[in-house]
Amino acid sequence: MLLGGALAGALRTSVTRVEGDGETVTLAAWRMLLRDPAFADAVLFTVRIAVLATAFSAAAALLVALTLRRRGTPLRALAALPVPVPHLLVAVVAVLWLAPGGLAERLLGALPVDLVRDRAGVGIVLVYVYKEAPFLALLLLAAMGRGMLEREEAAAVLGATRWQRLRWVVWPTVRGPLVVGCIVVAAFVLGAFEVPLAVGPNAPLMLAEYAQQATQNDLLVGESLQAAALLVAAAASIVLAVAAVRLAKDPQGD
Amino acid sequence: MTERWSPRRLVAAALAAAFALPIGVLVVRAFADAWRAPAVIPQRWGLRGLREALSGMALDAFANSLIVAIVVTVVAVALAWPAARVLGERRLRHPALPFLVLALPLLVPSYATGAGLTQWFLRLGLVDALPGLALAHLVIVLPYVTVVLLSAFGPPVTALEEMACSQGLTALQRLRWVTLPAVRPSLAAAVLLGFLVSWSEYGSSLAVGGGRPMLPLVLLPFVRSDPQVASALSLLFLAPAVAALVLAARAARSPL
Repeated sequence: MLLGGALAGALRTSVTRVEGDGETVTLAAWRMLLRDPAFADAVLFTVRIAVLATAFSAAAALLVALTLRRRGTPLRALAALPVPVPHLLVAVVAVLWLAPGGLAERLLGALPVDLVRDRAGVGIVLVYVYKEAPFLALLLLAAMGRGMLEREEAAAVLGATRWQRLRWVVWPTVRGPLVVGCIVVAAFVLGAFEVPLAVGPNAPLMLAEYAQQATQNDLLVGESLQAAALLVAAAASIVLAVAAVRLAKDPQGD
Repeated sequence: MTERWSPRRLVAAALAAAFALPIGVLVVRAFADAWRAPAVIPQRWGLRGLREALSGMALDAFANSLIVAIVVTVVAVALAWPAARVLGERRLRHPALPFLVLALPLLVPSYATGAGLTQWFLRLGLVDALPGLALAHLVIVLPYVTVVLLSAFGPPVTALEEMACSQGLTALQRLRWVTLPAVRPSLAAAVLLGFLVSWSEYGSSLAVGGGRPMLPLVLLPFVRSDPQVASALSLLFLAPAVAALVLAARAARSPL
């Protein structure tokens, strides 16, 4: 109910303009938004960062989970340590290590590329990979469990190679949880706010940053622009989630 | 390869370093009054960061964030319990739609949720108030708590409860002696996750808070302007998260 109210409130704000004592319904904010090149840049930048952060997190999580699947609880607990650390705190750590003049440069010399506040958003991607890869690895390790190890051993006894075991035993087991986890991560990054504010570039902006700036730049239609931009971010998350679920479906319907 | 450098130890060392090195620098930076490049070790140690951090709105922000996170977690668990029970025990014939509605807040950016709620909260006088912040956080926290909690319920817990019922235990006794111990690990994980999500929430706090200080909002401007104060505030930010993790890990030990 609260979420429905929130979305209805955002939709109402995006098509309403306050004039004198009354309000008028207008699509002016949506027209302004769709004509603004900075908004198009923000959409592209946000989607690119979300896709990259999710893909790298998933790859790192798979690697960690495959390495730790036969290991005990202490190693798994070590791998999960970044999970309770707030995103903003990881962003602070990224600035301390990776910003110009940061610890990485002091230890290794000048870095070949800018990693914080760079136009490509590498810093944002790195923060999310550090935070989300352990979260996804936990999901994968929970899915792997004892049953998968037994199936893997059975396949090995039947002569399956390492690659065949990965393709026909491990992948079908982890695909579902991995897709669900990736949807959550991608949606989280699409709505990213404090991390890009801390380590992202001044331009292009992520969608949430664009929405916040709209309220500061334009007092008349700023709130409507903000609401419209955030609705686009919400719609992008939902579309991406639906697409991911469809893509992940097995051709045989599993 | 000797036992000292076994693969297990190497993996453990790599994982521990990946966590401890980045976080450890926070502690060093918080107490480094002067740390100019290219020095790897601070030139002067001191408490300027802590003094600056604690002289502003940080303590108010800490209290606000803590109150909201605790209230939201308690309310979220109370609301999620029946929903998780129904979904976990697979009592619904078509669970997909309720599950989708429940999980939808995970897909909507929290800043969007906060900005949308602000329109209604302005009329209700809930903007710039802790109850308004708690309600906004609740929208975001509830799906996380429900999803984690529903993994606790299922045939094994139901069987235990039926056994207890046949032994003549009242509903309250069953909850106290059977259900709560059986679901304790998942409940602890749900409480931990709920607390952490609310504790670190930025977007909805900014939208609904109306300038009321919350810890993430107070911390962010220092990231660009004063890394030492940002590091000191980060330690303040990290402490309850670590405490919640330790408490949850202790509570998760199920006696059943």
